[in-house]
Amino acid sequence: MIKTPQELIAARDSVREHFFNGWTRIRVGMATCGLAGGAGKLFEAIREQNEKNNYGFFVAETGCNGACFLEPLVDVVLPGQGRITYANMKPSDIENLLLLTFGGRVYTKKAVARATSEHLLSDDTEIPYLQGVIQPDVQKVPPYSEAPFFKNQVRIALRNCGIIDPTSLDEYIAFGGYAGAAKALTQLQPEDVIDEIKRSGLRGRGGGGFPTGRKWEACRKANGAARFVICNADEGDPGAYMDRSIIEGDPHSIIEGMIIGAYAIGARIGYVYVREEYPLAVKRMRLAVQQAEAAGLLGENIFGSGFDFRIRISRGAGAFVCGEETGLIASIEGNAGTPRQRPPYPAQSGLWGMPTNINNVETWNNVPVIITRGAGWFSSIGTPSSKGTKVFSLVGKAKRVGLVEVPMGTSLREVVEQIGGGIQDGGEFKALQTGGPSGGCIPAAHLDCPVDYETLTSLGSMMGSGGMIVMDSRTCMVEMARYFLAFLKEESCGKCVPCREGTLRMLETLSAICEGRGRPEHLDLLKELSEAMADGSLCALGGSAPNPVRSTLHFFEEEYRAHIEERRCPARVCKALIEYQVVRESCTGCGACARVCPVKAAFGKKKAPHEINNGLCTRCGLCADACKFKAIKVA
Amino acid sequence: MQFSLNGRNIAAEPGETVLSVARKNGVFIPTLCHHDAVSPSGACRLCVVQVSSGERSRIVSSCLYAPSENDRVETDTERVRKVRRMVLELLLARCPTVELIRDLARAYGIQRSRFTDGAGPSEERCVLCGLCVRVCDEVVGRHAISHAKRGIQRKITTAFDTQADECIGCGACVRICPTGALHYEDLPEQKQPERVMVELHTRVPLVRCSDCGRAFASPALFEHVSKSVNVPPTTLAACPACRSKSFAATAAQNPPSAPAFARAHARTYQSQLLASINEESS
Repeated sequence: MIKTPQELIAARDSVREHFFNGWTRIRVGMATCGLAGGAGKLFEAIREQNEKNNYGFFVAETGCNGACFLEPLVDVVLPGQGRITYANMKPSDIENLLLLTFGGRVYTKKAVARATSEHLLSDDTEIPYLQGVIQPDVQKVPPYSEAPFFKNQVRIALRNCGIIDPTSLDEYIAFGGYAGAAKALTQLQPEDVIDEIKRSGLRGRGGGGFPTGRKWEACRKANGAARFVICNADEGDPGAYMDRSIIEGDPHSIIEGMIIGAYAIGARIGYVYVREEYPLAVKRMRLAVQQAEAAGLLGENIFGSGFDFRIRISRGAGAFVCGEETGLIASIEGNAGTPRQRPPYPAQSGLWGMPTNINNVETWNNVPVIITRGAGWFSSIGTPSSKGTKVFSLVGKAKRVGLVEVPMGTSLREVVEQIGGGIQDGGEFKALQTGGPSGGCIPAAHLDCPVDYETLTSLGSMMGSGGMIVMDSRTCMVEMARYFLAFLKEESCGKCVPCREGTLRMLETLSAICEGRGRPEHLDLLKELSEAMADGSLCALGGSAPNPVRSTLHFFEEEYRAHIEERRCPARVCKALIEYQVVRESCTGCGACARVCPVKAAFGKKKAPHEINNGLCTRCGLCADACKFKAIKVA
Repeated sequence: MQFSLNGRNIAAEPGETVLSVARKNGVFIPTLCHHDAVSPSGACRLCVVQVSSGERSRIVSSCLYAPSENDRVETDTERVRKVRRMVLELLLARCPTVELIRDLARAYGIQRSRFTDGAGPSEERCVLCGLCVRVCDEVVGRHAISHAKRGIQRKITTAFDTQADECIGCGACVRICPTGALHYEDLPEQKQPERVMVELHTRVPLVRCSDCGRAFASPALFEHVSKSVNVPPTTLAACPACRSKSFAATAAQNPPSAPAFARAHARTYQSQLLASINEESS
């Protein structure tokens, strides 16, 4: 039990000593991304061999460090030398890795980066691993400060992800955890906490960008018999997984943020609304809440301050619209997840009709370090209007994909080219889609714009929760808009007419264009429909649903026109508008295409140029992939 | 509380909606999912108006929006008409045979919807305004029907699309439906007369009038009405037609004074609605 700030410091120091003192530790990245890459088997193999050979390594799991393109990842702390990160590990690597580690050596084949110390952000302490002389083996591994994926990142939200064991409260405390809560509850008045958050300039990380301190203040000042705080972990944008990674890798940071927020607002009960499709996140969160309760960090009289607070976990049943705060509240109450008109805002009348403050995972996670390090430190990072950092999930056609955290104001180009490493296979950058299905795309001409709330909005996109999809010349913008509208049509709750009927008709119109049935008047129809949906929808889902169409129409209208007027898909994606053809001069008649074609559309005599029957062809592209002579092209 | 409605300065009660103030002041705002008997929902988006405060102006639904001091509300700007036109064009594509939708659309200059080309004729009549759900829940208090599914699959139905035991066959849902999407059919000739809620998977038994023998309402409805207006179920055993005959006969012999009559028949809105439903079924 931790009942006073002094006991917290004592706990912190004892674990810290244990953590940095000479044990050889092996950590496997076991967030969902790692598990998908095979980290589960890896973990078992490491544990098995560790026991079999009596190596005596301390083996544990950790979250995701963001470098998803390198999964599965294994970190090894060599005593006195540093933490070495191994990438793309396979079970067959384990034997050598453990043997070399046992000898204090590095498995150089798969080592990608090393850290000689850990910076503990919460109390701004640098704790070295390196003692004495650096071994030549270790020296060959590039330090994190030189690794291209990591060197331009600034990690606040992801401070502990991929480093600590998310199932260990001790390690969170060792890294400075719960110090923010201890300070807020024992040294600050609730008004001081709100003031600190206001001065820090922190804005909502779920996409809206509303100033967090002002939101808290409105909720504190509202009349109500009870108040609630909610953590919105209903992350649903396709291709975005920042919140999942934070919960899976650092669940206590959210609990701590919520304790501070609840104290400031005057809430005694908090809810974490996490989607059921994130089973690991649910499990980690649940465990973290139990640990915090057992340690007295949740419950009655926290840190002896007289403040009581508990957290309940509420699981979402799979509706994107429940990420909208009024829909989320309806869902927690046990009703169908349909939004209602605001005002009244949840700060006035939210859960069970009481003043309620909802913040996103990343927002809560930022709070503890703002309290320990101060508003001045936080607001020194970023731009005048957008402070701090933002986590993005960089996906799509970039070379290096994963979670990246950069200061606000970093240029999009830096994210895409320096961190993401540019386009895969030497392709040409075309557009960056930000903000999820309700966001928009940003073409190459605006790539030097800084990442902040206002700039992205002025470009017709938005910050959103932080999805960033890199698209190259092989991406059809009409098809991309169609994809997002198909998603939104499925996720519309169906309550209001513009969203329910509008997403359907918008999808039908886009499908017509992609399938070669587009008509010139469709462009005006799309524009009119977009405007009416944006203005007329009940909630933000419908209001922003036309964004993919609006922004592609704005920046890539000629692509729409090519589909409609010339029946041509410039990116060669829309199946109704392309044909596979054999380049007779290049074809050797090897028959590879005919063998893979599932509908027998590719045919020909052995050693003679083959042909493709476009009447049969389903445009699956298997033949082109199978051809070693680049003899099949798309026209 | 003062705000401006189409340029006129108007006083409103705090919390009163724009729609309510507008109607009191003779300003017409079209609605589809609104009914005074039930709580507002904001689903149809036909009643949208434009609200400006300071530099900012936005579109809100007037059935839910309570103006703030000094708001400037416009009920018929081009921006408002654009939203209404699109809502009606979308609804016309969904329900091309519904007279109400066609009339409203025509009023906004829409003869045909641009979204229906190539599609076969749709027989859909439900616009998903949800009035039936709200009247059943809030007025009748039974909650026998609800919305199910989401997005374009959203529909009005009973739990699990099967017989709703909560349904008392009052027909409030059928009466309140603005588009004629819900129906019931009485089968009085059966050995056990029944009312069939056609679209709602439900059959409710009917009892016969104690005087004329016509099957006219369900025992559950008797019980419900008798509880909510506090009259013994026996007074309900006669059908409304027979009841008014016998009332007329009594009144002719012994005319009550006007205030006593008013007192005797002062009823809540709820009982009036239920009574009118009974009337309807005669």
